[in-house]
Amino acid sequence: MIEVDHLSKVYGSTPAISDVTFSVEPGEILGFLGPNGAGKTTTMRILAGYLPASTGTARIAGYDVHENSLSVRQRIGYLPETPPLYPEMTVEGFLQFVAQIKGVSAGDRPMKVSAAIERCNLQEKRQVIIRKLSKGYRQRVGIAQAIVHDPPAIILDEPTVGLDPRQIIEVRNLIKSLAGTHTIILSTHILPEVSMTCSRVAIIHHGQVVATNSPENLMTQLTSGSGYDIEIAGEEVSLAKQVIQNVAGVSLVESMPTSGENRSCLRVILQPGTEIAPKIAAALINSGFDLYEMRRISATLEDVFLKLTTEEKHLPIEVDTE
Amino acid sequence: MRIVLANIIAIYRRELQSYFVSPLAYAIASVFWFLAGLFLVMILLGPDGILPTIAAYDLQSQQMGGAVPVIDVAYEFVRAFLDRMGWLLLFILPVLSMGLYAEERKRGTLELLATSPLTNWAVAIGKLLGVLTFFTTMVLPLLGFEAIVLAAASPPVSPIIPLLGHLGLILLAAAILSLGMFISSLTDSTILSAVLTFGVIILLLFVDLIAKIIPGSIGEAISHLSLLKHYDTLVQGIFDTSSLVLFSSYIILGVFLTAQSIDTLRFQRQ
Repeated sequence: MIEVDHLSKVYGSTPAISDVTFSVEPGEILGFLGPNGAGKTTTMRILAGYLPASTGTARIAGYDVHENSLSVRQRIGYLPETPPLYPEMTVEGFLQFVAQIKGVSAGDRPMKVSAAIERCNLQEKRQVIIRKLSKGYRQRVGIAQAIVHDPPAIILDEPTVGLDPRQIIEVRNLIKSLAGTHTIILSTHILPEVSMTCSRVAIIHHGQVVATNSPENLMTQLTSGSGYDIEIAGEEVSLAKQVIQNVAGVSLVESMPTSGENRSCLRVILQPGTEIAPKIAAALINSGFDLYEMRRISATLEDVFLKLTTEEKHLPIEVDTE
Repeated sequence: MRIVLANIIAIYRRELQSYFVSPLAYAIASVFWFLAGLFLVMILLGPDGILPTIAAYDLQSQQMGGAVPVIDVAYEFVRAFLDRMGWLLLFILPVLSMGLYAEERKRGTLELLATSPLTNWAVAIGKLLGVLTFFTTMVLPLLGFEAIVLAAASPPVSPIIPLLGHLGLILLAAAILSLGMFISSLTDSTILSAVLTFGVIILLLFVDLIAKIIPGSIGEAISHLSLLKHYDTLVQGIFDTSSLVLFSSYIILGVFLTAQSIDTLRFQRQ
């Protein structure tokens, strides 16, 4: 549904993102995780057709975001970093306007606007002027404008920023309820957020995608901190995996692509605080495997991890009185 | 085509709606109407007003005999009034056009417009029509002022003269608003946009003064760019197609530059 291929963006001489590649399958929620300033917003803006990429291509629903910009813009909903709202309009009036400029036919408009209002829990604020809404409600109106025309692809840039814990939960549930029928890409710098909402995660750091995986695997990779890439002879790896898994201190073994012929590469993730390279090597050799290479990995992820927000603030839950 | 039209209407309606709920717009309209009313009274009854002057002429001829200079009072009134209105625009229009894009940039709503299936042209045209409609509703009551005065004119004045004058006023405003919209698209500061627009208007109103300094056909060519000169022609009741062409050119130029500037903004934005 969304394919990003070697995307780069240079501002003057500073690269904002370089060689970003990932894809999002239909109905999936991809979390775009990275510290502040990693290039998340730039990537989102390119996908939404707001900025052109310096090199590389991005396609949504098969259309190039730059060359077929109008076709793409008809098929996306986009929530920028700051929700784009007209403060003098009412919630309903604003959503009507957005539906109109997104090309929803006059007959469908009332129904779609009502649906978006209900999904975002804005029924009570229908006729309220946006200027008078609290930040949490404004964020919800921002999400409502991104989904009002029922687009197949939804791009959300930091959708939960500035919300209180109760609203965060609501927004996450809303996003989850959109999955399946919509393809969603959301950016965040909060680690637990991706594990709670996303089916897959791409981690971006210094403008580069350093890992793409399911949240569970990434979490293991991140929290364990380190591991090894091991290259062995032969293409049959299930036995080798078994052998390594049996070594005390190993938390995860997975197959990796390899360039060598008749070789296999395995990624071993260790439990925190363990240093068992000799044991793994010995176990492999004792089981008759030819060991070619063993190198330490995960330094980049650790680096990212340190800069991410890994814990959510446990604020007392306040009821929004506005 | 139908979609483009629907988009223009959507932008137009939103823009117009925002004027009717904005305190600034009401403030501008109040000041405009107050000053317009003041000018009306001054032109008719003020110390150098038309009526006292005519009365003085009449008195003079009665006492000393001799011919009374022929003055078409009603026509002079319309001319003088619309001339003052032209001046008033200088201060009113930059305030009307300053927020057209600057405000959208500041609020981040430009990102919404730019990522919606709209062309920059449709947005610019919709906005220009919106602000122009607001301006026209500001000008309409002035016709009422004039109707009261002209109703007393004998022999009656052809309504075409004030109407043509008002058409000129609206065309002049459209030309300035279009350029003001372009300037507004260059910055996200409304104040800066207003100040720059003010400067550009002064330049375009007085370009014929500059042109007089430049000799030969170049000077003459430049003098044709003057907005005030063409406005005066219409106010005098002369319908000249070249004036129409000039005003339309300014309007189209403004819309074109706005569309280009938004494109450039997106392509260079840091």
